[in-house]
Amino acid sequence: MKAWQIFWSASLLIAGGSFAGITLVVAVKGFQDLRNALRRWQEQKE
Amino acid sequence: MPFTFLDWAIVAAYLAASVAIGLAGKRYVGSVSHYLVAGRELGPYVGIATLAATEIGTITFMYNAELGYRYGFAVFSTALISGLVMIFVGRTGFVIRRFRELELMTVPEYFEKRYSVGLRLLTGALVAVGGILNMGIFLKIEGEFLTTVSGIPSQYLILVMTVILLLEMLYTVLGGMVSVVITDFLQYVLLSVATILVSAYAVYHAGWGDIISTVSTTMGEAGYNPIVNPKFGFTFLVWQILLWFSLNTCWQTTAMRMFSTNSPETSRKVMTWTGFIYLGRGMLPMLWGIAALTLFGTGPLDKGVPLPVVDGQTLAPIDAMPSMLAQILGPGVKGIVVAGMLAATMSVNSSYLLGWSAVISQDVILPFRRLLNKAPLDSRRQIFVNRIANLFVSAFLMFWGLYYTPPGAVYLYLNITGTIFLAGAFASVVGGLYWPRANLLGGYLAMIAGAAGAIVPFFFLHWNETVVGFGSFGLAAAGLVVGSLLRKPSGAPLEHSYARRRKP
Repeated sequence: MKAWQIFWSASLLIAGGSFAGITLVVAVKGFQDLRNALRRWQEQKE
Repeated sequence: MPFTFLDWAIVAAYLAASVAIGLAGKRYVGSVSHYLVAGRELGPYVGIATLAATEIGTITFMYNAELGYRYGFAVFSTALISGLVMIFVGRTGFVIRRFRELELMTVPEYFEKRYSVGLRLLTGALVAVGGILNMGIFLKIEGEFLTTVSGIPSQYLILVMTVILLLEMLYTVLGGMVSVVITDFLQYVLLSVATILVSAYAVYHAGWGDIISTVSTTMGEAGYNPIVNPKFGFTFLVWQILLWFSLNTCWQTTAMRMFSTNSPETSRKVMTWTGFIYLGRGMLPMLWGIAALTLFGTGPLDKGVPLPVVDGQTLAPIDAMPSMLAQILGPGVKGIVVAGMLAATMSVNSSYLLGWSAVISQDVILPFRRLLNKAPLDSRRQIFVNRIANLFVSAFLMFWGLYYTPPGAVYLYLNITGTIFLAGAFASVVGGLYWPRANLLGGYLAMIAGAAGAIVPFFFLHWNETVVGFGSFGLAAAGLVVGSLLRKPSGAPLEHSYARRRKP
């Protein structure tokens, strides 16, 4: 049971860390991505 | 703690911003391709945001917290499988790369390209039935969460459900995928902040040591080891692996994000990185459920686990997590969390509304018109048909949400309703893409056997979900193989339009 506890605790740490880290990167770089998409949609409509 | 004026102000500001941004998206919609797949212009980061926002909703938090409450850490295995399978699909491009190269707009569209228009029609009908039944319980559960956390009296549940539906419909019907993608970005950031905040609060209040000791004393080894847990076991884990492969490749709302990316390579990147988010998407709310068990699990035993008791009232396990949040979150934080959960709710529901209505219009109504030799519809009329389908799906959601209550854990109900079409679709898609021998008869048998194997034993015979799910995938695979071996292979391999366009 102890081994499972350690395994799930480590998994939880990795999951939480990945979630927070990727959110930060996506929030910053996604904004530029979205601006590019908006520009392309506008061009396609014109 | 009561929901204060500050909390309401935060929620109102979020709702106003979200609806305004969503409505602004309408002016970019020029064709049905914009409406359904955002003109295939999504880069990797906004792709990750929209895929994650689409598949993380209040419903996700609720069913995962319920699982955590009922089964402890053992249920982390499903989150681990979902994330690892997604990372594998992203790294290898399994199914999704070829799907993106084909420039599809819906999953059933593939069935016409590979098999026949009739099989597309059948698949479209099954996808619509399974998808809408799946989404049918979202509104009620989301409404319960929001009324519990914000302290709105429960008699206003229907009103809350209606308001949620109307707000998300407003911009989804008008702006389609363009509006959904723009709002998803804002909603993803907000729901992630809420997720991290709630996780920190839950562990702080319940205490990590107490969480571990509660699971150990209540459930013993079964609270950690999915193989020895009587609800799970080896068969369940194999079914989950099959299910997550099919969800990550053939689930309409996930696949639509892959179709919306600007290249097959981008679709792989989006899938890979979202796989890491999926680990947290499952495990973090499961942890909230375990924290709720630690804080409130003092009631009579139900299937070996004490029911939650909050303010002297005994609740169902699914209500433990929102009741915990109502108790532990302070003013301001509660407003941010409710706004984040509303963001999660709206991003999922808007995408699902669009996904299932797209299938009804593109894969049921339009092919049916062709079978009747009616003239094809232009882009403007296709968008109109999509909007009507959107309204139909919305009306059904209100009805089903009020009428039906799932018999067991919500997660398992969602798995089974998804399996109605996923089992057959996954077998037919994998066979169609990677097995030249696969033919039309095999495709029909896979779809029919997969759907019958889910609907009959679950809704009418009330069999155990694991048996139903595993059996449905087995029947679908057998149907494809037997049908394909009985007749000659159908048609030449597809020439991918993306690859063709890139030829000099």
